[in-house]
Amino acid sequence: MEASSPASHLLVNKSRIRLFGLSFDDCIRVFFGGNAIVSIIVLALITYFLFREGAGFFGQNRQNLTVYRQAGLEYIDFIRAQQDDHTALTRYLSDLRLRQFRHYTQEAKLPVADANAKLAVFDDFAGQFGDTVEPIRTLVSDLTEQASAIKEKFTVMEDKKEERRQLMAEGRKGDADRVIITPVNFAEELKPIIGTLPAYKEASAEFSRRIEQVLATAPVLPTPELQVRMDRFKQLTREYLSGFPAVVSHLESWDYAKPVPAVQALTSFIFGREWLTASFWQDWYGVIPLLVGSLMVSAVALLLAVPLGVGAAIYVNQIATPAEQKFIKPGIEFISAIPSVVLGFFGIAVLGQALRALSQASWLSWVPGFPYSERLNILTAGCLLALMAVPTIFTLAEDALNNVPRAFKEASFALGATRLQTVIKIIVPASLSGIISAVLLGLGRVIGETMVVLLCAGNRIAIPDFSAGLAVVTQPVHTMTGIIAQEMGEVVQGSIHYRALFVVGILLFFLSLGINYVAQIVVRRYRISIG
Amino acid sequence: MPATHHVFRAQLTSARRREGFIFFLFGAATYFVLLCGAVVIGTIVVRGAGTVFQARAPFINTTFFTEAPESLHVFQYQGRKMELGDAAFRTFEAAHPDVAKGKSDSYVYSAGGIFPCIVGTVLLVVGSMAIALTLGVCAAIYLNEYARDGTFIRFVRLAILNLAGVPSIVFGLFGFGIFVIFFGWNVSLLAGWFTLAFMVLPVIITASEESLKAVPKGFREGSLALGATKWQTIIKNVLPYALPGILTSSILGIARVAGETAPIMFTAAYVVRDKLPWQVDKFSDFFFQGVMALPYHIYVVSSKIPQNEYTERVQYGTAFVFLLIVALIATASIVLRNRLRNRYKW
Repeated sequence: MEASSPASHLLVNKSRIRLFGLSFDDCIRVFFGGNAIVSIIVLALITYFLFREGAGFFGQNRQNLTVYRQAGLEYIDFIRAQQDDHTALTRYLSDLRLRQFRHYTQEAKLPVADANAKLAVFDDFAGQFGDTVEPIRTLVSDLTEQASAIKEKFTVMEDKKEERRQLMAEGRKGDADRVIITPVNFAEELKPIIGTLPAYKEASAEFSRRIEQVLATAPVLPTPELQVRMDRFKQLTREYLSGFPAVVSHLESWDYAKPVPAVQALTSFIFGREWLTASFWQDWYGVIPLLVGSLMVSAVALLLAVPLGVGAAIYVNQIATPAEQKFIKPGIEFISAIPSVVLGFFGIAVLGQALRALSQASWLSWVPGFPYSERLNILTAGCLLALMAVPTIFTLAEDALNNVPRAFKEASFALGATRLQTVIKIIVPASLSGIISAVLLGLGRVIGETMVVLLCAGNRIAIPDFSAGLAVVTQPVHTMTGIIAQEMGEVVQGSIHYRALFVVGILLFFLSLGINYVAQIVVRRYRISIG
Repeated sequence: MPATHHVFRAQLTSARRREGFIFFLFGAATYFVLLCGAVVIGTIVVRGAGTVFQARAPFINTTFFTEAPESLHVFQYQGRKMELGDAAFRTFEAAHPDVAKGKSDSYVYSAGGIFPCIVGTVLLVVGSMAIALTLGVCAAIYLNEYARDGTFIRFVRLAILNLAGVPSIVFGLFGFGIFVIFFGWNVSLLAGWFTLAFMVLPVIITASEESLKAVPKGFREGSLALGATKWQTIIKNVLPYALPGILTSSILGIARVAGETAPIMFTAAYVVRDKLPWQVDKFSDFFFQGVMALPYHIYVVSSKIPQNEYTERVQYGTAFVFLLIVALIATASIVLRNRLRNRYKW
């Protein structure tokens, strides 16, 4: 023992310096380990800070919805919806007029003046139909003013409360006491509004009587197709009239004091079909139009990018000569290096116009949606995003194809299969899990892309009209990424709008995590065991 | 008898014809993608070259590279059409008072140059890459040299994978929430650096790990067998061989950092700023100032000002310069990587 001690001292001279009981090497190890944790920390911080800024949204949105109810805005919107539905019906009529006009001028070859003369009866009918809503319209515009006044009072009170709170925080109690807060007595304020119920019933009855009257005078249209539309219009109007009692019962059972359930703050965001901000009447934060916009643009992009990307991967991996491979691969990598803002600019400056010009070419008029007039729309953004997604899909799919063992291919050839059969029946199925995950990662890239959609998607916040069929891709939309980029710079910090944008960010974050997760699962679970 | 007519020549059956057709489609898809890329780049290069180059010596439009953006004034003077930048227009107006009476159209940002944007982009790239490389290389060393497989490492790898998929605008929101508001750095270089660094971190870690993996095991074992510590082995026998690979692969990360707009929109970029970054009162202010950046400038000039013959010049010119910078970085990365592959063969 005595003899070995100096010898071991000589051998183990590495750990002489000690810090918190750790040797020098351990310290270095801990230092490097600390750096490795950074990625976990960053991920956690992203989650935390998105929620920190966004979580307040739900409380504020509930408050927003409560005021909507208490100030009587909700009550009036029942009646307003009735008015809006009537407007939709008149729009149907004007569409019908356009069709008749086209029939007269294009098929019957009448001069414009004659066509208009023939339409005089119809115009008279449409005019009368449009006027029937008058009693309701007057009522709504009166009520709107009253309700706005109540809301205004409430806002002023909230501002005063805030002012007082700030003064108290600064310790100026005297000044704070001088801020007079007059609480809004909603029951009292709402009385005149609710008091109009009998008047509404009267107006509504008058309205429905007038509609019946006008409907009886509906003119007969010149062709069977148009007559079918007219009958459809009559049917729609009858359905509309049969909905009147429901409105009355809504109004009768409406109670301003009924609390807004907490969950509605969430559901009105997730299922809300309107994103309306800085409105004089009521702000809505519904994510559906943005989500649908993002999904539509991504769908178009993937529809274009998947065949191109996977096709190119198969070509490069299986068919191309080595010389071709040598310039195709860097070429496609080069495309992935084009910054998205440059692609967006290209879309605004060149592609938007070029596609519109193409859509107006007469030999392409059979394509649904062609010709169109909006330069920036789903299609423009989708094409550019496809160009961004192709390199991602190509690279990953090519990797997947590359991982298929040679033996698979050789066995297939040995059995007498042609090259095409080998590619379609052996190589692609064997690497399918990799190709699917490549497509999913491409989707992740496309859905999270900001600049291209911000510049080229048209930025109209509305759910695209799916009744147009495939032509829906020629409509402008707004996207989740685009709305954050566009509105974040202009909102007041801490306002409900600001928080709503963070909640959109949270949704986007978890959407991309989900896509990533599914891609990993697909690779792991469905990989054909290669052995 | 020609060689192609020998007896065993493959028959042109319908199956073979179909194969040829389908393979042609795959080829067409590939070349169509390349063509699209070429059209995008070609359009911007051709139209942008008009701004960046000029017919007279020194053949390069130096004002475009050395001056700040200005408003462009277009007006009629004595029957001639004049186009002047803001400063020149003021002096001209002072010399010819009758100009003020005539009609004059002005277009913001359409005259002058993009010097502050170039400077801002360079600063953003250098700073964020310095942060990202430090963190990324150290993390990769840990993952490749120290870590044993376990739950912790699985978590780290999962985090890296997921971080790579987070949309850039979410990084922007995150940077805004933590650096701009929580830390109170406001819109500043520092906030932009960290936001971009975290965004590019997964790329750097993956690239570094690959380069470290490429160093043969024997290098480590030899060093350890001679009695060196783990740390000595890494610093003397692993890193020197991995470093060129790490740096070249990270260049692709640079291209990404330089090209992203969304993360810097709320964290570091200003639409316009008169002062250059080094014109600060005290040294610490340098880190807490916003800058103009090329990608953000392109966004501003392509969305906030109308499209016409006067604004087009600055739009295409900026896009061209930006594309050129990013393309140079990307090409450098590809070329260096290929050369490196040939240099070290173990």
